[in-house]
Amino acid sequence: MSRTLADGARARGSNSPEGFEAAAEPSRVMRPATGRILVAVPAYNEAGTIARVVTRVRDALPGYDLLVVNDGSGDETGQILRRLGVTVATHPCNLGYGRAVQTAIKYALSCGYDALVTLDADGQHPPEAVSAMMEEFDASRWDVLIGSRYIATRSYRAAPLGRRIGMRLFSTLVRIVIGQRVYDTSSGLKIIRRDVFEPLTHWHFVDFHAETIVYLMRLGHRVGEFPVTMAERTHGHSMHTAINYLKYPLKTFLLVLLGLIEASLTRRRRKR
Amino acid sequence: MTLQGILILNFIGLLLLLWVLNLIRHGRLYVGYGVIFAISIIGTMALISVPRLLVMVTHMIGAVFPASALTMLALCFIVLMLLYILTQLTIVSNRLSALAQDIAIERARAEAERTAQGKIAPEERGGAAREIWNESE
Repeated sequence: MSRTLADGARARGSNSPEGFEAAAEPSRVMRPATGRILVAVPAYNEAGTIARVVTRVRDALPGYDLLVVNDGSGDETGQILRRLGVTVATHPCNLGYGRAVQTAIKYALSCGYDALVTLDADGQHPPEAVSAMMEEFDASRWDVLIGSRYIATRSYRAAPLGRRIGMRLFSTLVRIVIGQRVYDTSSGLKIIRRDVFEPLTHWHFVDFHAETIVYLMRLGHRVGEFPVTMAERTHGHSMHTAINYLKYPLKTFLLVLLGLIEASLTRRRRKR
Repeated sequence: MTLQGILILNFIGLLLLLWVLNLIRHGRLYVGYGVIFAISIIGTMALISVPRLLVMVTHMIGAVFPASALTMLALCFIVLMLLYILTQLTIVSNRLSALAQDIAIERARAEAERTAQGKIAPEERGGAAREIWNESE
């Protein structure tokens, strides 16, 4: 990896606060250069926001296919999606966020897509920013490009205390382990290239956060960040419950270590 | 251990063994797990019934009293069984997740193919989205 994580965005002048604004501007309607692209939205009990998210994706990204992964929602999400006529992969029961993202990856792999865009169903991620991200993704040939809330300012001051501590912890962990800084390890807005679909379907990931970044970078894939402005959640509640605030860091920490070992073993096997 | 203690513990062991065999017979306990329980019960019964064997095991694991040795073995057994059962649960859970994902993917693919064949018009889908969005606002 010859460039640092933020180099792509910096080279394109989007690392400054001005660039930050520009990245969040409504996209120009254009056919992506990457080829067939799938936008996947994992949704669990998101009846309040899902229609709006689907409409925004369709308006902002007309050249992309859309898949919603309904992760065993118990509310009206399934019915709303049926009325919307969107392609839905429905889990018969709730499997968790990581499995929902993995379903999207498996779907993209089996249908021959060239890239996958993941967006959260709570409406926090602006689909309008994806076109600018895609340009950067194509231009700098990233394997994974993360829509980052913190790369523009390189500071967590705007985040609530709990998230600030978590972000700093995992960002530092990734830097120690990989030697490169990733400012937003927990963003659900990502563009993933086809080359990394397969490794992501083999190993177990909790939420496709720090553990995935470490695993992929250790395998030699290029992971970058792109500045994106995200809205605050207006409906529903976060997947992180009180107990999760304790469990999540421990689980992620363990998986980062195991991911590191697994990736090193995979590299050694490939060399043979 | 007194003769009364040996008899009571062996009686309990025998009841457990019969229960395990009955569960296997009715298909309510997987034969693999049943074998582990049966071996452990028979082993414990042998340790209780032959005092010399229990003393030997006590010395071997560095315990002072035979009762401590039995407790230690029982704890080890419980921890190992827990780990084994959780491993099996994880395997079954992973299989279930993979199955659920495959079902979801196959259905989504069929749906996407139907849409591609023109059975659901794109403008219809967009219209429905706006309608629901307006309703929720």
